[in-house]
Amino acid sequence: MNIAAWLILLLPLFSAVVIGLGAFRSRKVSAAISVGAVVGSFLLTLLLIRAGGELRTSVTWLEFEGLQIDIGLQIDTLSKLMLCVVTGIGGLIHIFSLGYMKEDMDFSRYFAFLSLFVFSMIGIVLADNFVMMFIFWELVGISSYLLIGFWFDKSSAADAAKKAFLTNRVGDFGFLIGILMVWAALGSVGFADLSNALSGETAAVTGLAGFLIFCGAMGKSAQFPLHVWLPDAMEGPTPVSALIHAATMVAAGVYMLCRVFFLIDGTWAMEAIAWIGGLTSLMAALMAVQQDDIKRILAYSTLSQLGYMVMAVGLGSPDAAMFHLSTHASFKALLFLGAGSVIVALHHEQDIWKMGGLRDRMPRTYWTFFIGTMALCGVPLFSGFFSKEAIIDVALQSNLLLFLVAVFVALLTTFYMTRLFIVAFMGEPRSAQAKRAKESPALMTVPLLVLAVPSVLAGYYNAHAPNPLVLCASLVMLVFGMLVANTVYSGAKADPLPARFVWLAKAMRGRFWFDEMYQWLIDRVQENLAKLAEAIDRRVIAGLMVRGTHGTTELAGRVLRLTQTGNLKAYAFWFAIGMAALLVFTLS
Amino acid sequence: MDWLLIIVLLPLLAAAAVGFVPGSQLRTIRGITLGASGLALLGALIAFCSFKVGGGLQFETKWTWVESLGLHFHLAADGINIGIILMGAIVAFAAACCADDITHRMKEFHILLNLMIGGILGAFASMDLFFFYFFHELALVPTFIMIGVWGRGANRNYATYKITLYLSLGALLALIGLIGVYVQTGAESFSIPDLIAKVRETPIDEAAQQWIFPLLMFGFGILVSLWPFHTWAPLGYGAAPTATAMLHAGVLKKFGLYGLIRVAIPMAPAGAQNWLGVLAWLALANLLYCGLVAVRQKDLNQLIGNSSVAHMGFIFLGIASLNVIGLTGAVLVMIAHGLLAALAFGLSGHLYRQTGSLDMSRMGGLLRQMPLAGTALLMALLAGCGLPGFANFAGEVTIFFAAWLAGLKTITVIAAWSALVIGGLYMMRAIRNILHGPRGDDWAKASDVNPLIATALGLLLAALMVFGFAPGLLTKGIESEVTKIVRLAKPAADASEAQATEVAVR
Repeated sequence: MNIAAWLILLLPLFSAVVIGLGAFRSRKVSAAISVGAVVGSFLLTLLLIRAGGELRTSVTWLEFEGLQIDIGLQIDTLSKLMLCVVTGIGGLIHIFSLGYMKEDMDFSRYFAFLSLFVFSMIGIVLADNFVMMFIFWELVGISSYLLIGFWFDKSSAADAAKKAFLTNRVGDFGFLIGILMVWAALGSVGFADLSNALSGETAAVTGLAGFLIFCGAMGKSAQFPLHVWLPDAMEGPTPVSALIHAATMVAAGVYMLCRVFFLIDGTWAMEAIAWIGGLTSLMAALMAVQQDDIKRILAYSTLSQLGYMVMAVGLGSPDAAMFHLSTHASFKALLFLGAGSVIVALHHEQDIWKMGGLRDRMPRTYWTFFIGTMALCGVPLFSGFFSKEAIIDVALQSNLLLFLVAVFVALLTTFYMTRLFIVAFMGEPRSAQAKRAKESPALMTVPLLVLAVPSVLAGYYNAHAPNPLVLCASLVMLVFGMLVANTVYSGAKADPLPARFVWLAKAMRGRFWFDEMYQWLIDRVQENLAKLAEAIDRRVIAGLMVRGTHGTTELAGRVLRLTQTGNLKAYAFWFAIGMAALLVFTLS
Repeated sequence: MDWLLIIVLLPLLAAAAVGFVPGSQLRTIRGITLGASGLALLGALIAFCSFKVGGGLQFETKWTWVESLGLHFHLAADGINIGIILMGAIVAFAAACCADDITHRMKEFHILLNLMIGGILGAFASMDLFFFYFFHELALVPTFIMIGVWGRGANRNYATYKITLYLSLGALLALIGLIGVYVQTGAESFSIPDLIAKVRETPIDEAAQQWIFPLLMFGFGILVSLWPFHTWAPLGYGAAPTATAMLHAGVLKKFGLYGLIRVAIPMAPAGAQNWLGVLAWLALANLLYCGLVAVRQKDLNQLIGNSSVAHMGFIFLGIASLNVIGLTGAVLVMIAHGLLAALAFGLSGHLYRQTGSLDMSRMGGLLRQMPLAGTALLMALLAGCGLPGFANFAGEVTIFFAAWLAGLKTITVIAAWSALVIGGLYMMRAIRNILHGPRGDDWAKASDVNPLIATALGLLLAALMVFGFAPGLLTKGIESEVTKIVRLAKPAADASEAQATEVAVR
């Protein structure tokens, strides 16, 4: 079984290396290796689940007295569930990519990067200690950078990749300091050791350490205030958005919080986490209401749903968070891939106002997208219903204000998804491309159909009887949201909201101007500091110490210049004098 | 086998051999240089692989030179320098491969290049204080001449003048410090192991330590571009020929750090206790301030130069932590940075040959234009911002743990910010400007690296990744040696720290 666990991790790495070292010359071989690796990992995951039980295996990476860093795998219920999500949904996305990226000149490079990404993500899932998690955390950062900037010739894609990486780095900074604090307080970085150490003394880890660790999750899971990278990251190929921004990378933050929940439980960090999650879910849902790009709507929706999960962790229920994570992974991947199918059919048109009438032209995409939308809105009996109920239920029991936020977000979710669905798929085509749209090939629609199954059914593995109050609240919101969106957008030629709510719509479209604020801050603080440092370097340090254009500095320079001739003989001479002085000095 | 002797002698013999070849025989000259450095690399690899961790001094060559003074020609390797020698040999071979851009007075250049390689390897292999210093000067003097004669850019003369001034001053201060050590110990020997044995019994007078250590710290520090004595580095590397920059930034610069660990701390532990706090703050200045300066650079070589100065901050911080983890991390980063700096300067040298400019604002899309060089540069820049998988990360993260353990918490926090965020910022900007985006207009005719240079770069990358995946290959040997140094430096603190660790582990 140990071998199986290692293979799950190493197969995708093997794929990335082999493609990188030469298999890239053949598109078919590259794709086969990459898809084979992820499917292999998935099958081995199923094998492990069948075998049951827990498993720990590790090799030492670095070892000192008092600091041992392992590359260790921890297979338990939590990591098995996450492995299923990552390799299962990841595998379908690989297959979808075969069709989506068919025309791309860098087809092989794409699959090498996908494999690298899956390897890094599996590393996070299996990590049994903080440092290993941080290592793979960084690797996920870089492989997502490579994927987001896959079309790097395009300036916007290159910029988006850079922004994603740097925003994540800010979070990682907190994460690293948090790890150091935990290690200093408890003497280990291994999760098992930490858990044992904690059981002895209570609350040995401060809320500050917990919060700093959460900063890492803030970056990866795109929580406020580090959420700004995710919408831009839609510059990557659409299957990448499905992989990174629905099923895996953004879920890594939530997964990590669940993994180290024992450390943060009971500290003030929990409160902060819950509020940041709630705030993110609200803000992102508001932004989603006024976006016109199909992928951006889904991106903001992802932010909002991640906010739900983070809030659930903060409110003390990692189970609810993981539940929603797993259902969300399948239906959001379905929605992203559905969007990808639409985008390909419309020759890379992403504006929903240039779509319309796709229902009859792309029936399979339409129906699967429909299922995804229902699941996301939380229509009863779809998977999203159960997991969302679970989170709202947790909120109701511990924090009334956050409960209200969660319910309001549910309303907004229904509203913007209905808007997207009606505008993109119903009514008449609003552009020439939409008129000519054709259903995508089977390579792309089959993964959609396969993903539709868990989008409906995934909720049942953990379904509880819903709390009546929660059920009522969310059903009212669901119906209300759908009705309003239907009234506003059914048959609309353009969005009527901006005309009616000028300022609100502007703020929503402008994403509440966070990017502008950050840019201003970076320009004022970072750039000015850098300018200052450079000026000191040029004028003061270099100037005073060597350039010496004035007075004594110049004089000293001139005298010294006589000795520094660049002439080998002169140096040999000085060297000999030095040695002679040394000898005289020591002999006397 | 006396592998070290072979490794050190080969380049020196090659220098002599090149001297006898007529200057018109370009291929012969290249062949001799490449052959010597290639064989030296092979020898270093064999030595590294057959090295026994914890086996004390190995591959020894010891010839008495001046009996009455205790002067020996003594080469030996232990856990600390075996990795550095291997790194030096790899970089030397890579630099020899990349030296084919020199066409003018090629014979003289190759004589100096071989001398420099021999000097570098000799300095790190020497266990005798005299030869330790002598070999360093043997490598340093050719550096100045190479920059002055074969350097590039309008600033060449000024750069030569400045680098010579700074490095000579640093070397001079260090020399005074070393003489101080020799005189104060009263040991009738220049042998470093003898000196250490001597101070273990009778430490140097504490008052004397208080001036010896700062002399060594600033002397060696200037050689390593310790803030605020760092401005020579970006300027000098910007003007230096490719091979010279690779060798100096990669290996020769590490001499100062090596001297701090090998000589300064064991000889003047009490001085070290007093002064390492200062060093920690200066290290932070390297990391933060030079990182900020790097953000502003528009020229690739200036960027690499400044970031390389910033990276020295990690090593200084590791040394300032004065614990086993920190010193091990410091040596690890020395090796990682040596490989990385050589890689980066090798690549920038290739780019410079294409258009004669390294202005990043005029570049773009080079990943498409030159896939091999582009990918290598991408990996080098990523390694430079501390990506796991490359040896730099292993060293840097180790140093963060060490500095935190040593109680330098504020410094660690700011250093982590500089490393993760500011380091990420300038590297990402460089990738964005050089490799990504639409192609720069001047670069339409630029060609990819030739197979020889590709081999050199591949070798450097491979070494970076091998040590990144398995840092234990290096750290086990380093740890066993630095433990002795830390014990020597803090005999009293040792017991209490072990106790603290025990408490922490429990």
